[in-house]
Amino acid sequence: MKQTFLTILAFAALTLAKAQNPAPAKPQERAIALTGATIHVGNGQVIQNGTIVFDKGIITAVGNGDTPTAGAEVISVTGKHIYPGLISPASLVGLQEVSAVRSTVDSREIGVLNPNVRALIAYNTDSEVIPTIRNNGILLTQAMPLGGTVSGCSSIMQTDGWNWEDAVLKKDDGMWLNWPGYFARSFSMEDFSVSLRKNENRSKAIDALQATFADAKAYAAIKNPEPMNLKLEAMRGLFTGAANLYIRADFGKDIIEAVKFAKSFGIPKVVIVGGEEAHRAVDFLKENNVPVILSALHRLPNRQDEDVDLPYRMPGILQKAGVLVALSYSDEWWRSRNLAFLAGTAVGFGLGDREEALKMITSNTARILGIDKQVGTLEKGKHATLFVSKGDALDMRTNVVEHAFIQGRHVNLDDKHKRLYNIYREKYNQPMQGK
Amino acid sequence: MKKRFLTLLLATGLSYTGWAQTTFPRNGVFDERLGLYAFTNATIVVDPQTTLRNATLLIRDGRVEAVGANVNLPTGTVVTDLKGKSIYPALIELDSDYGMPEVRREPRNFSAPPQYESNKKGAYYWNQAIQPENDASLLFKANGAKADELRKIGFGVVLTHPHDGIARGSGALVTLADDRENTLVLKPNVTAHYSFSKGSSGQTYPNSMMGSVALLRQALYDADWYKRGGSREQANLSLEAFGRLVGLPTFFEAGDKLGVLRADKIGDEFGVQYIIRGGGDEYQRIDEIKATGAALVIPVNFPQAFDVEDPWDADNVSLAELKHWEMAPMNAARLAGANIPFALTTAGLRDKKDFWANVRKAIESGLSEEKALEALTLAPARLVKADDMVGTLQKGRVANFIITSGNLFSPDVVIYENWIRGKQYVIGNKDAADLRGTWQLTIGDRSNLKLNITGKSVDKLDYQIMADTTKITPKVSVSNDLITMQVPLNRRAGTTRLTGYRTSPTTIKGDGEAPDGKLISWSATRTGDVPASTTATSTTATSPVATTASATVLYPFVGMGNPQKPKAQTMLIKNATVWTNEKDGVMQGADVLVRDGKIAQVGKNLTAPTGANVIDGTGKHLTNGIIDEHSHIALFSINEGGQSSSAEVRMADVIDSEDVNIYRQLAGGVTSSQLLHGSANAIGGQSALVKLKWGESPEGLLIKGADGFIKFALGENVKQANYPNPNVLTRFPQSRMGVEQVYMDHFTRAREYDKAWAAYNKLAAKDKAKATPPHRDIELDALAEILNAKRFITCHSYVQSEINMLLHVADSLGFKVNTFTHILEGYKVADKMAKHGAGGSSFADWWAYKMEVKDAIPYNAALMHRQGITVSINSDDAEMARRLNQEAAKAVEYGGIGEEDAWKMVTLNPAKLLHLDNRLGSIRAGKDADLVLWNANPLAIYARPEKTIIDGTIYFDLQEEDRKHEELQKERARLIQKMLTAKAGGAQTQRPNFRRQRMWHCEDIEGVMAEGEEQEHTETQK
Repeated sequence: MKQTFLTILAFAALTLAKAQNPAPAKPQERAIALTGATIHVGNGQVIQNGTIVFDKGIITAVGNGDTPTAGAEVISVTGKHIYPGLISPASLVGLQEVSAVRSTVDSREIGVLNPNVRALIAYNTDSEVIPTIRNNGILLTQAMPLGGTVSGCSSIMQTDGWNWEDAVLKKDDGMWLNWPGYFARSFSMEDFSVSLRKNENRSKAIDALQATFADAKAYAAIKNPEPMNLKLEAMRGLFTGAANLYIRADFGKDIIEAVKFAKSFGIPKVVIVGGEEAHRAVDFLKENNVPVILSALHRLPNRQDEDVDLPYRMPGILQKAGVLVALSYSDEWWRSRNLAFLAGTAVGFGLGDREEALKMITSNTARILGIDKQVGTLEKGKHATLFVSKGDALDMRTNVVEHAFIQGRHVNLDDKHKRLYNIYREKYNQPMQGK
Repeated sequence: MKKRFLTLLLATGLSYTGWAQTTFPRNGVFDERLGLYAFTNATIVVDPQTTLRNATLLIRDGRVEAVGANVNLPTGTVVTDLKGKSIYPALIELDSDYGMPEVRREPRNFSAPPQYESNKKGAYYWNQAIQPENDASLLFKANGAKADELRKIGFGVVLTHPHDGIARGSGALVTLADDRENTLVLKPNVTAHYSFSKGSSGQTYPNSMMGSVALLRQALYDADWYKRGGSREQANLSLEAFGRLVGLPTFFEAGDKLGVLRADKIGDEFGVQYIIRGGGDEYQRIDEIKATGAALVIPVNFPQAFDVEDPWDADNVSLAELKHWEMAPMNAARLAGANIPFALTTAGLRDKKDFWANVRKAIESGLSEEKALEALTLAPARLVKADDMVGTLQKGRVANFIITSGNLFSPDVVIYENWIRGKQYVIGNKDAADLRGTWQLTIGDRSNLKLNITGKSVDKLDYQIMADTTKITPKVSVSNDLITMQVPLNRRAGTTRLTGYRTSPTTIKGDGEAPDGKLISWSATRTGDVPASTTATSTTATSPVATTASATVLYPFVGMGNPQKPKAQTMLIKNATVWTNEKDGVMQGADVLVRDGKIAQVGKNLTAPTGANVIDGTGKHLTNGIIDEHSHIALFSINEGGQSSSAEVRMADVIDSEDVNIYRQLAGGVTSSQLLHGSANAIGGQSALVKLKWGESPEGLLIKGADGFIKFALGENVKQANYPNPNVLTRFPQSRMGVEQVYMDHFTRAREYDKAWAAYNKLAAKDKAKATPPHRDIELDALAEILNAKRFITCHSYVQSEINMLLHVADSLGFKVNTFTHILEGYKVADKMAKHGAGGSSFADWWAYKMEVKDAIPYNAALMHRQGITVSINSDDAEMARRLNQEAAKAVEYGGIGEEDAWKMVTLNPAKLLHLDNRLGSIRAGKDADLVLWNANPLAIYARPEKTIIDGTIYFDLQEEDRKHEELQKERARLIQKMLTAKAGGAQTQRPNFRRQRMWHCEDIEGVMAEGEEQEHTETQK
């Protein structure tokens, strides 16, 4: 009875949400030039008093104040900062709305091996969460499935669009594998502590994976297999490099073992996701040219004796060792609007350089996800997916997004939070302040 | 074979005395003996201080008749010559469930409705965990196998009690003899027993440590009430039974060092000095333990070494675990050194056989043999007030003693016999012939054989036959003078079987059968001692024991702890940007002087007093310490969710001063926290307000003189909306409608209760003496305090309807809601909150994890603030608390709050909400010196604390971090090397698993979450 009630309530909320989210932006109709800003290109380069021009969704010019803007609608953003749209990888945005309400959660399929499951089609462009993250500069997310050992395929989504077809930037960019860990969590009913114990089922799970990958590789060699196997079919791209293999692994041994596993099948593009202990395997990652998408830095150290700031320092440690790093908010979908602040935290804890940190949420991420030809930096020929911030976007106080463009479409920055803010601000006759 | 023979109880059937049998009918002929035994020429340890050489012990009818050098032996005495052997008083075990019924714990069934009421039928207490009526002497049934186990290691008497529940009833002193229970029970009802564990009770209440404490306190108050007249209202066998326990030595099973402190506090409240069963880690808090004045019962179950060969896996073992492995054997010595009285117990040992090895380890770690003996004999006897019966061998004591081959604490000692109440139990054959030596051996026609017999003691022998250069290991069994051998003289032919007997101490002869069936004769003649080279067996490979000096305690006992508790300094912080939170605002280039834990002066160009620590603040920002209004760190449990109201529980009872999150938060600039009860029920528990003084004890963390606070909760958690199995939920309330009624009901009762007490307290002294005082109810005490503005509410709340409701309830009953915490829809009723005078403590930007946070907006703080509400930003999360400065900065982003006002949301405002703003929250002369020195504007994402200071003491220093980490690594390395050596020496090891401490949120309820749900639930726990 109550369950039903909750379902109805949740449904009502979603229906309302649909009505409330602003309409997706119209395609770019004429060239736009943003002038007078500090342009953070996303590759480490900063242009003071810069101008960026884009037309039909594509950047046509980036440069200093002398960059010609003829024929373009000029929007002066003097003193502001322009950034490439931030990319939030390994995200559940669009896949779940209210985690406690089962009917709004579409991020996890049952079963152990689900390579054919696609996050793409569950991605709800009407999620109320999407406008709130867009408001902090996140213009691209990677919709990622959870669950099982092989969770399924992710896709790269833009945070504006009528439906998933419309919003998608890259379909099925990779497959997600939860590496059977060396240690498994076990929960004590005695004192309610979680402990990590040697995972006794691990070798069995790895054997099963081994068999599946061997079968998939052999299958991939056949052009038109009969009978057709949807699961193995979904894995084809892994062996050609058309799709990434994202492996969730945190501990040093798991990282090494997982990468070796993938390499043994000749999988060209392997990405470690999580990497809480990636500093242990830093040489290995470098030698094997394996990038890391770090899970949220906003976590506690794993061990009592670990340096208190180790999670915060991890991006700096990996970057200095030459490992390609991106930052993520993992499954914390509603908190992922704080992605830029993870980068800021990394700056304060060892990384030092703001532009390097920015790369970890823009160009590095684009390279890892295989979308760097289109997005990730503000360079000529790339998508005009960018935003204008009042100030330093990595700092909470100045991350105030004033304009956002996705493929040149000027996005409406309204969101549920702003609407409620305005309703009650007016109720109390309070001034409009902040973003 | 030999073993079985030796352990056979020689005395079985010898009824030496009539006194216990007189009331029993007899089948057969009376066989009462004189029971007169004398042991002569022995070394007799009469008590830990008195050892007699060449002395005689005379016992009669199970008691010591005489002990000394010149004892007259009456005619009819059975005399045993114990030349070269020793007699000790038998040992006494104080923590035993010997002979008690097995305690069955039903596995928790989450698909069945919760059990609210007691399943124990009868006129007993309402809660099954309270069983003072249990009487060990009534439950006692002797158990031969269990008794034998303890007898073998020298115990004669145990104090036994049922290990079930929080109030466990009375203990009985029983012997370990094999006999009718009538002769075994030395003294019934000698002790009272308590613990923190609810045991087999399946009742929902209590389901937390603080609930256990509260239940016991309430039960003890109930017992008092019953005695003063409550018995006229009801018959209650449990409350009556409490009366019988008064005045008995009272034992409390506390679990560990912090449990010892916790238990003692309860004792203090009721004027009882408990004897406390500790956990073996008391050395880690020796000063505080000493201050309790409690005598302890401590185990010798030292932890096993870990497998640390794999350096990555070894990372999973914490320094605390490594150090405890090294230091646990030193516990007893350190207690002795601090003059803390204690007894040793075998409880907790996986195998009782490990007992002696571990006691010896304790001795090698500095415990004197005398003290060890005392802790096993006289001390336990005294603790149970039975030292006139047992524990020593003075005249008149019960004849409980052991006969040993020598010094009881030497590694190769053999306990030959254990006499209990004058009855003999043979453990080893004290008269066994010493066969050790080299023998010339002839078997049939083989006369060139040599037999070497070696061994540490006479009853653990190794045999080896040398046939020319071939070594043969025969199978030998010896029973008194009879010797049987199987010798594979020629492997191919088979085994030669021999039987023989000793004809003299140096000759053996006999006959046997060759493999082919031919009868042969054999003989052996002792030719001398075995050469030393062959006797040198592996006696050196004992596990290493640290010298007392090399092992240091850390405060607290975790890797990030300090060898010494940090001390307050006089310090001058110069030329910093100082965020005063006062009318001076942010002062540039200012100095702050700290002295005696207080801010002494704020200004420019201050002069440093001599000896002051001058800290250059150039380019840095100095602020107040962050105050977290909503925290669940440093706690052993969070929710007492067994009932809709748990106003009686106190978070101060469950403070975990060793939680590394304290240090992690210091590193984030937090100096004070309100440790809150969770949100499982409408009326939660009483808060603990602490300063994060890393290294102090739980008591030392508490902010003295702070007002009392209590957690309330509204919404989904209270109505259990997100429980895994909603179909079994029966706890009232299950809707927001019911929540209101919980408050109305409880406060109405509290008002009446308060009135009743006020009336009673107003009575003239002589009327008071006649009247029955009202029933003391610690739950209603707390609620009455709210009504009298002596305790203040922090209410977990989300949606506007329920916030509105509580404001109405409060207004109608005449109390105030001090703070709404979370208060995510506070912006919708900010005008009403402001009118009521309630504060708001919120998350900066959390939402979307459950239905009731659907309308949460990050502008909430700004909207409430501009309505004149005192707003703070809190964590409710051990991780986020480390960067509350960033969370405060979000108020600048969302809603455009000025930086100073935003900063106050994590400093001055929470201080106001906690009524501590007279001491905390701003930088002004006279206030507590709780300060943080930042490398940048504290609201900047790039800022981090460089020093965190509490009461003028530096508790976190970024400059010291590297050194600290280096020392930690060095100490780890030293211990790991030691562990490797121990393993190589044969020590047993365990796998390095690592326990990740629970990160508590306010919705976490013990007993609700199961593994696997953990992941999915994290989002709903906030």
